Amino acid sequence: MNALPVYEVFARSKHDEPLKHVGSVNAADDDLAKAYAWTLYDEESWVEMCVIPRAAIVPITSHGRLPVWGN
Amino acid sequence: MGEPVVREFESLEGMPQAAADGLRQLLWALADTKLLLGYHYGEWTFGTPELEAAVASCSLSQAELGHVRLLHALLRKHWGEDPDALVEVRAVADFANITFLDAPIGDWPACVVMNAVVDLTATRVLATLHGSSFRPLRMSVDKMLDEERHHAHHGIGWFRTLGRRGGDGARAICDAAERALAAAALWLGPAGEPGDAALVAAGVKSTGNAEILAGLIGDVTAMADQAGITVLAPAPASFAHWNPNSRRGSAGGPAEDIVFHLRGAANAMFKLGE
Repeated sequence: MNALPVYEVFARSKHDEPLKHVGSVNAADDDLAKAYAWTLYDEESWVEMCVIPRAAIVPITSHGRLPVWGN
Repeated sequence: MGEPVVREFESLEGMPQAAADGLRQLLWALADTKLLLGYHYGEWTFGTPELEAAVASCSLSQAELGHVRLLHALLRKHWGEDPDALVEVRAVADFANITFLDAPIGDWPACVVMNAVVDLTATRVLATLHGSSFRPLRMSVDKMLDEERHHAHHGIGWFRTLGRRGGDGARAICDAAERALAAAALWLGPAGEPGDAALVAAGVKSTGNAEILAGLIGDVTAMADQAGITVLAPAPASFAHWNPNSRRGSAGGPAEDIVFHLRGAANAMFKLGE
């Protein structure tokens, strides 16, 4: 079992597109999460990419459960 | 009083000879360092502590080799260098890479230091070429710097992780970081080296190598502080026998088996277009 924090990865490939969830990474800190997201989800030339610690996500529906994309 | 006007160069025409020679040596040194970085990152696609780091190493390798192509293209266009010959024919002793990369990168802490310190050294040099008066170079540098941001995130993240964990890993990155800084100091060369000074005077580079080294030591010290470890600054290097072409203080070069793989010697008979 991987005890590292989970970061959700969001990106957009065009400026006029909404951010979309593209996956998640396990990483010890923000720097590694950025590096892993950038190198793992490189299937497109993203104009914007960001990572968010899953622990920082406040669910509105399904309180207390993982997001639907959660692994 | 206005800003001093620095001439922009579309080619080597009009560039002072000392600057043109210094730039050729610098591009060689950057390309050789990135070639060796690409090789070692590629080797570390396997054996990393976690799968994400393996993917990252592989990606970093591809990026470095891409940068080699950009640098070799500049050397071909403006100095008539043959990129294949630079890798396949040149004497090993002429390779101008940072000497930390001469030998296999034996363990993960050394690989982390290669990423966090050695790769950063080359990036700090690239950063002084941002806004260069040599326009063909300027157009390539920004792309490389953009990609190097991700290399830095990976190096810093792992450096901090291993340092904070303490024990053998922390000791190993201290030792490796001190070796890397000493190698970087040698590679950057003596303060006021004529070729470097000519590049700064011509506006090709924004700052000299002594300032780059001071900035690098500051970066590594700050990173070590965050990691809870102490990395000592390198003792002044001896430049008595320093060679500006190889950027080494004595005879040397990458290990023979590494050069063998870099050159693809075992598969030379399959080369196309021969």
